[in-house]
Amino acid sequence: MGRSDDTLGRRVDDPLPWSDEQVESLAPSASMMSAARQLATPTRWRSTGADEGGVWGTVQGSGREPYETVVDHTEVVTRCTCPSRRLPCKHALALLLLFARGQIATGAPSRRTRAWLDRRRADAQPSVDDTTTGDNSSGEGSDDATGDPDNASPPDLPPRDDWDRARNERVESMSGALIELDRWLEDRLRTGLADPSLADYATWDQLAARLVDGRAGSLANRVRRLAGRVGIDADWQQQMLAELGVLHLLAQAGQRLGELPGPLADAVATTIGWQVRTADVLAGVPETDHWFVAGRSDAREDRLEVRRYWLYGTKSQRWALILSFAAYQQSLEHTFEVGDTVHADLHRYPGGALRALVGRRHDGANGLPGSGTEEAPGERAVFGGVAEAVAGVGALLASQPWLDRVPMLLRATVAQDRTRRMLTDSDGSVVLNVPPTAGRGVGAWTSLIAVSAGATVDIAAEWTPEGVVPLAVHLPHRSHDLGRRADASFVA
Amino acid sequence: MTGSAITPNDGDLGGRWETLVTVALLGTDRRDPPAGATVIDELVDDTQRARPAARLLAQAAAVTAARRAGARPGAPEAPFVPPPPDDRPACPSAAADRWRHVVAVWPVLEDEWLAAVIAGGWRIEPVLVPALLLRHQRDMARLALVDVAAGPLARWLVDVDDELGDALGARLERITPGSTLALPALPIPDALARWREQDLASVAGNLLAGLRSGQLAASHRTVLVNLVARLTPDVDGLRHLADALSRLDPLDPAVSLATALADLAATRASMLDELAPATAVTPAR
Repeated sequence: MGRSDDTLGRRVDDPLPWSDEQVESLAPSASMMSAARQLATPTRWRSTGADEGGVWGTVQGSGREPYETVVDHTEVVTRCTCPSRRLPCKHALALLLLFARGQIATGAPSRRTRAWLDRRRADAQPSVDDTTTGDNSSGEGSDDATGDPDNASPPDLPPRDDWDRARNERVESMSGALIELDRWLEDRLRTGLADPSLADYATWDQLAARLVDGRAGSLANRVRRLAGRVGIDADWQQQMLAELGVLHLLAQAGQRLGELPGPLADAVATTIGWQVRTADVLAGVPETDHWFVAGRSDAREDRLEVRRYWLYGTKSQRWALILSFAAYQQSLEHTFEVGDTVHADLHRYPGGALRALVGRRHDGANGLPGSGTEEAPGERAVFGGVAEAVAGVGALLASQPWLDRVPMLLRATVAQDRTRRMLTDSDGSVVLNVPPTAGRGVGAWTSLIAVSAGATVDIAAEWTPEGVVPLAVHLPHRSHDLGRRADASFVA
Repeated sequence: MTGSAITPNDGDLGGRWETLVTVALLGTDRRDPPAGATVIDELVDDTQRARPAARLLAQAAAVTAARRAGARPGAPEAPFVPPPPDDRPACPSAAADRWRHVVAVWPVLEDEWLAAVIAGGWRIEPVLVPALLLRHQRDMARLALVDVAAGPLARWLVDVDDELGDALGARLERITPGSTLALPALPIPDALARWREQDLASVAGNLLAGLRSGQLAASHRTVLVNLVARLTPDVDGLRHLADALSRLDPLDPAVSLATALADLAATRASMLDELAPATAVTPAR
């Protein structure tokens, strides 16, 4: 950035490359920016410093230990030890504000900070604009809502030998947990699904805790979700057996990662809960496309709201999933509007995952210096018939049978018989999973009927083992987002 | 049924799956999992599992994966018969969004919004119809307005969607054709009501003078809201009023009230503008 080699203790007095407005443009929400402004006071920070690539400091938060915050201000990548899932966090924003105002002296970073910045520079790609550090890596089905921020934010890179040892220990720990999972599954089927112990949450919770200990957090989430299905409807044993089978498949595959082809091993590992550094994901080859924002849905998973945006590459015809998480009073990602098309680089998680991170936006939507300004041509995805959509779902499930949500686009009309609600065309039908609202407002089913009014319409939906969930209706002049919304009293 | 969202491509797998579920319910302590010479047996055979529960798990995994990946659509179903056609264009999307803002922030404008839809030759955008029906299901006068503004879609929707309830259908049946479109009167003191006869530039001047002098304050908010909601429906005049009110000195004690009234005036102006009589229309569903 053209900075001089100032010695320790001197203020950075080059023309400043950042302004308050630029920092504000990075903030995930107005409330977070407001919190950052309150933190942007030099006296609240310790051990601050900046050089030509980074700015760093520590600040006392609500935790016992101060949070360590580092920002690579050339690539706009942040790292903070705070547990925030909204990124960049308020500490990183505050640090950038201080930097922008010239209130950070130049200096030399600590060894840990230096290691992280060096790693960033080594991996840096010209277009990467990510601001994320908390790693919520998940399987394709976006299982990861582990809520374990300590795991989520990888530590500074230790020496290579230490890194290998830590990795081996982690693999061993995960394998041990998977062996226990398989034993547990066998015990359940030995005594049978009618065993009353299945209705006891402790039966499941102990297993989930063991999986978390074994760094298999995504499987722990699946187990917790499964516990909630016991006795939920007449078919629960069928769904239970199917899911126990999938867990067995993952437990077996996870114990044989070394024997699996590379991408498959990666996919299995991330589905189990193997954490992947955000920077590593962003260092991967980007997929540049005009991404049609086909649908959105929010789901409550444990103590988090999880928002899923399904993006469809109009050129590649490939799906991608953008996830965001919000704990109580945090806000969810809302930069996408269902029905829009965004020109952007997406970086997929390992194993050809559906889940991806957004890199550079070529439509300038992230407001970063250097972002392209090319206009998206408004391309839209091609909606096929019911049979084509079902075949697409089948193809994805054949390659990754553990997926519990698969996106689909279809052109269909609404139908129902005495017991089922469906989407249909002249070749076939699919059954919908749209539970009655029981008088609580207007549900997706009612909206779907009203918007389609008996006509054939373009629909984005999500296959789940329990049925197809309509997410959006795309009319020629307007898209209607029908996906479930997070509880407004929970998220900010 | 596994993968019941889509009809599974059962083949031989359907029967095998039912057997697996039965064994899983009873437990392998009581019954052994099935064995045979099917593709599934071949697939899991190489695992050479000795324990029955492990064999059952392997089969469940294989059958689940096969049934989900190989699922096929169900038979075509008869779709809903569409409602009778309504030649009126759907109101613009901006007007639909405005309705959401109106009911959330300025419900005093909703009657005028409905009246403007009807008077402008529009029909309610379909996605709003269920919400409007439910919102006014116990208010026959407004339900009548919704019935007219939504057109045939309203009754069709109530007929085909059991979630909207039979009671709503019965109320719609009781609506008398040709319901009045007159806006209900709102309580406005005579001193203020006289301003309704003035042009909106004069009203803006009066309002600002009253706010600055303290004669009009937060305690008058309700009647002032009613006044702005019933001033002459002049889009330009309302925008001028909004502009004038928003320029009150930020340090004036009445600035909060003035800002609110400015938003009300601006909202009303936009609402009337968006619902101006449809002339050249974009075909809409």
